[in-house]
Amino acid sequence: MGEESMIRAQRVNRIFPVAGGRFQALTDISLDIPAGKLTILRGRSGSGKTTLLNILGVLDKASSGSVFINGQDVGKLSEHQRENLRRKQMGFVFQSVSLLPAMNVFQNVEFTMRMAGIRSERAERVEECLHMVGLGGRLKHMPFELSGGEQQRVAIARAMAHRPRIIFADEPTAELDSAMGAEVARLFQEMCRKEGITIVMTTHDVGLMGAGDMVIELDSGRLKPA
Amino acid sequence: MLGIMFQKVLSKKWMFLCLLLGSVLLVATLVSFPMYQSAVFDRLLRDEFHTDYAESGVWPAALKLEAESQFMSHDPILKAEEIMAGVSDTLGVETKENIQFYYSEQPVRLNSGRTDARTHNMSVAFLSDLTEHVTMLSGEMYSESGISPEGSLEVIISQNMMVERNLLTGDVLSLMAVRNGLNSYVTVTIKGIFKPNENDPYWDIGTDELSNAMLMPETTFRNVFMGKAEGNYNVFNCIYAYQFEYEKLEASQASHILEALKTLEEEGCQGETVRRLMETFQTEKELISATLFVLEMPVLALLMAFLIMVSRQMYELEKNEISVIKSRGSSGSQIFRLYLYQSVFLTASGVLFGFPLGILFVQGLGSASNFLEFGLHRNLEIKYSLTVWMYLAAAAVITVFIMTFPAIQHSRVSIVNLKQNRAVRKRSWWERFFLDFVCLAVGIYGYYNYSHNQTALEENVLTGRAIDPLLYVSSALFIVGLGLLFLRLQPLIVKLIYILGQRFWHPASHASFIESQRNGRKQQFIMLFLILTVSLGIFYATTARTILQNAQNNIAYLDGVDVIVKENWENNAAAVINYKSHGMDLPLNYTEPDPLKYYSLGVKSYTKVFYGGGAAEEDGSRNSAYAQVEQGGEQIPVLLMGIHTREFGENTWIDRELLEEHYYAYLNALADNQEGLLVSRNFQTQQGCELGDKVKYVYESTVTAVVGGEKCSLPNSYAMEGIIVGFVDYWPGYEPVSISFDYSGEVYRQENYLVVANTAVFQESFGSVREPYELWMTLDENADAGAVADWINENHVSVRKYVNREADLRRAVEEPLLQGTNGVLTMSFLVMILLCAVGYLIYWIMSIRSRELAFGTLRAFGMHKGELFHMLILEQIFSGVLSIFAGIGIGKLTSWMFVPMLQIAYAASDQVLPLRLYAHREDMLRLYGAVALVMAVCLIVLILLVFKLNVTKALKLGEE
Repeated sequence: MGEESMIRAQRVNRIFPVAGGRFQALTDISLDIPAGKLTILRGRSGSGKTTLLNILGVLDKASSGSVFINGQDVGKLSEHQRENLRRKQMGFVFQSVSLLPAMNVFQNVEFTMRMAGIRSERAERVEECLHMVGLGGRLKHMPFELSGGEQQRVAIARAMAHRPRIIFADEPTAELDSAMGAEVARLFQEMCRKEGITIVMTTHDVGLMGAGDMVIELDSGRLKPA
Repeated sequence: MLGIMFQKVLSKKWMFLCLLLGSVLLVATLVSFPMYQSAVFDRLLRDEFHTDYAESGVWPAALKLEAESQFMSHDPILKAEEIMAGVSDTLGVETKENIQFYYSEQPVRLNSGRTDARTHNMSVAFLSDLTEHVTMLSGEMYSESGISPEGSLEVIISQNMMVERNLLTGDVLSLMAVRNGLNSYVTVTIKGIFKPNENDPYWDIGTDELSNAMLMPETTFRNVFMGKAEGNYNVFNCIYAYQFEYEKLEASQASHILEALKTLEEEGCQGETVRRLMETFQTEKELISATLFVLEMPVLALLMAFLIMVSRQMYELEKNEISVIKSRGSSGSQIFRLYLYQSVFLTASGVLFGFPLGILFVQGLGSASNFLEFGLHRNLEIKYSLTVWMYLAAAAVITVFIMTFPAIQHSRVSIVNLKQNRAVRKRSWWERFFLDFVCLAVGIYGYYNYSHNQTALEENVLTGRAIDPLLYVSSALFIVGLGLLFLRLQPLIVKLIYILGQRFWHPASHASFIESQRNGRKQQFIMLFLILTVSLGIFYATTARTILQNAQNNIAYLDGVDVIVKENWENNAAAVINYKSHGMDLPLNYTEPDPLKYYSLGVKSYTKVFYGGGAAEEDGSRNSAYAQVEQGGEQIPVLLMGIHTREFGENTWIDRELLEEHYYAYLNALADNQEGLLVSRNFQTQQGCELGDKVKYVYESTVTAVVGGEKCSLPNSYAMEGIIVGFVDYWPGYEPVSISFDYSGEVYRQENYLVVANTAVFQESFGSVREPYELWMTLDENADAGAVADWINENHVSVRKYVNREADLRRAVEEPLLQGTNGVLTMSFLVMILLCAVGYLIYWIMSIRSRELAFGTLRAFGMHKGELFHMLILEQIFSGVLSIFAGIGIGKLTSWMFVPMLQIAYAASDQVLPLRLYAHREDMLRLYGAVALVMAVCLIVLILLVFKLNVTKALKLGEE
């Protein structure tokens, strides 16, 4: 195991039961994701990107094989420990708009910090993160008062607010125009550099591939050799 | 189109079932009320007649017409006959008896020469259908032809007439004014002596003429007096007595009967009793239906609100599909039709299931013996009158309209799925219009208005006027106003709690606080539902219990003891009077009936009570009493009681609160001083006396006897003296003020003064005369109170006074207004609980469903299931539990304020005891239990939903 490896997958398979049989979404995935870098998972729709991201992000369990986060075999963790791992060390950005509708921008961003148990200087950190995504002045806005791109940027600020070690972003640019997509990619690069966060992002946007420190391509649930 | 509709129905089966439930309940409730009312009114009407019959002993469903033939003309008779033949059709009732009594007073002379040969006046008469209503004591019934072989007219006479006229079977009398062709007198022969059958309403014709009548067959009478007779003997009188079956009367006939009666009265018929009973019935009916209608309103309003809520909810869920259908080219009218079909289908199913359920409801309504108790077992006769069908149609139209309405109106608000738009933070319309304050103001105005006019309210009720429905409406508005006010305050309460612990809240609590503050308004509808269910539940329970309990306490108090019997004691009054008229003295003597026999009839113990001051008996005998304070008081009539203190204490009871000291303290005071007297508070006020004052009192008893055919009375008076040892406000069986009406119909209050003395003093004063006493009896625990009455009836014991507390209490429960109130309140409450449970459940399931994405996000952030649960529970506490507590508070406050006034509306005119508020622990426990069950079910559903929640799936959901 290389020292700079933050996430390691070993022969990960994921099989879903479907009507009339099984569907193998992932087959024998083994990979290492380096710490502090922006890694891009690419592939066509249905190639298993999101499934893999969910497994790496401890949201889903592999049917077989192991995943190590920072050297820890997550397969051996209890549900509770996995949840703690997610809330303290990970941040998530989903393709869908996933801001909590009842909370305003500030509360949404602050919430991950509350979840992670951070008690001090929350307000400053929220402002800092929102500033980074260019929404410094919209703390009191409700999610429905923002455009899709703005909401996604709030989601990114939220994913990083509690200073996680890893951020998983599932198609964060899917609903953004290309300029905005590039802006998000730039933001991720900056976060890796400035805060040393490991970021794993799926995308099918070919234009963003250049932004990644590393690009992993999936095809029908298998890794495509580089 | 229908295919689409059924598909739609299947895909939303839960919502569909809720709508179905709503429409079934609406139909059942709406339909059950008229069915119940008509059944109750039938019963009420028949009871009205039945009670009158029981009290007066005279068949009350009767009309009377009198006519007199004129010289040489039978026209008035023929006209009367025609009227009477048509009475059954005119009134629309079933004939019991249509009696004709024709009599002609004639000078007669006894032919046999057994006694004097003077001419007497007697009646020759006929009574229709006589043979079925008499028992022959001697001789025989007149023959069919009515003419004896000797050519004499055969008659029968009553036993009384036989005695008074000194006539015998076989006697022949000549009618001195009726000659036959042979220049001799027409004669009558007494064929037999009869006795009227006992308890036969046939004999309630109501004329003294009967006792003087020689009765012959109708045909004979008609031949002799109505044929081509000559002379003046064809002048005769007729009494027509028409009796109908009241047991078959229906409430709906009442107004027609009253109308028809008016016409008949114009033609000379007398029907005061029918008129009086019918009018009483009409008044009572109006009172009851007005009261029940107002009581029914809240549950009907809630049912409609429920339907509106659910159909809006369903519409919200279908908005997307509708827009898809629309985008594919469906017109607005097609969509409207889709909804119309759906609601028609639902309504039809609602009617199908709701109607039988309604019949079940009627049985439930009719068997409610108390709040949430179904102790009465009686079969209400269910009729499908026009009103029922009208209600059914109304229910159907309302349901269709409510369920189609959202499609027309393009729904604005629903309980859950309110779009996350600016409207969320906006105040609800009722908040902007201050509806809560308006409702409260009206409610409080009503409260003050009535609490300041309680006497007016009482008098209104006593004079039979309906209770102002505004009184009920104010209590309902008060509840709604307070409920809305709570909803206005609830977000502030949540905010306050949040701010108080801002720094310490767990992330899950934090999330639920924010959710509750931000989206709390979406829950207002369901919260109001909860508040109304709980508070109305408490209010209903308290109202029902209080009304019945006070009525029963009052009866228990006024009756004084389980059973009271005062037998008619045999006496020698006739002999005493006879002696007196000859200037001799004979002491009055009564034969004391054996009281020990009652022990075998389930009586545990009894005490003898001398009671003076009651109303006079029918035969003119009475016990009265007077008292005055020795120092200057004037003599006033009093109720005088002679008791044996220890026994009386063992057999009677009186609530501690009604007396200043313990009941036994008064009895002991009396026991300690043979001369002691307990007097009522109003006696003290009236006479201005103090403890230790001397009081002179008189016990007068008057017996009557028939001596030589004349009624004579024999008064006896016993003067006694005593010392006041206590003042009592209440005493078993004592009514301090009795309320009646004067001739102008105004309420009239009469003070009754009570004096209680030791039996021993009475007995001493009576000396050798053993004056009759009342027996106050306590029954064994499992004894049947009817056993005494049965024994009395079986042995034909003549009784002056009979009280059966158990029967009186039961009568109170069955009293239509009370019983109907209990029924409506109970059924309303059950329906409300059901609606509330279903409504709350739908709300929660929908609410959680709509937030699945947010829950998925939270779970992805690492929120544990327990924390998610914690969050939802907290939200439930902010909405549900807070509402329940608000409901409890509101219910108690409203009960405390309004129930005493509602109670007045139900209190009988003989309500003596101070009214008290009653709430049964069990009712409250049942209510809380039901609510807790609802919450528990919600909790289980929550747990299931949270545990079923799949993070990745939930998040995928959002990707669409």
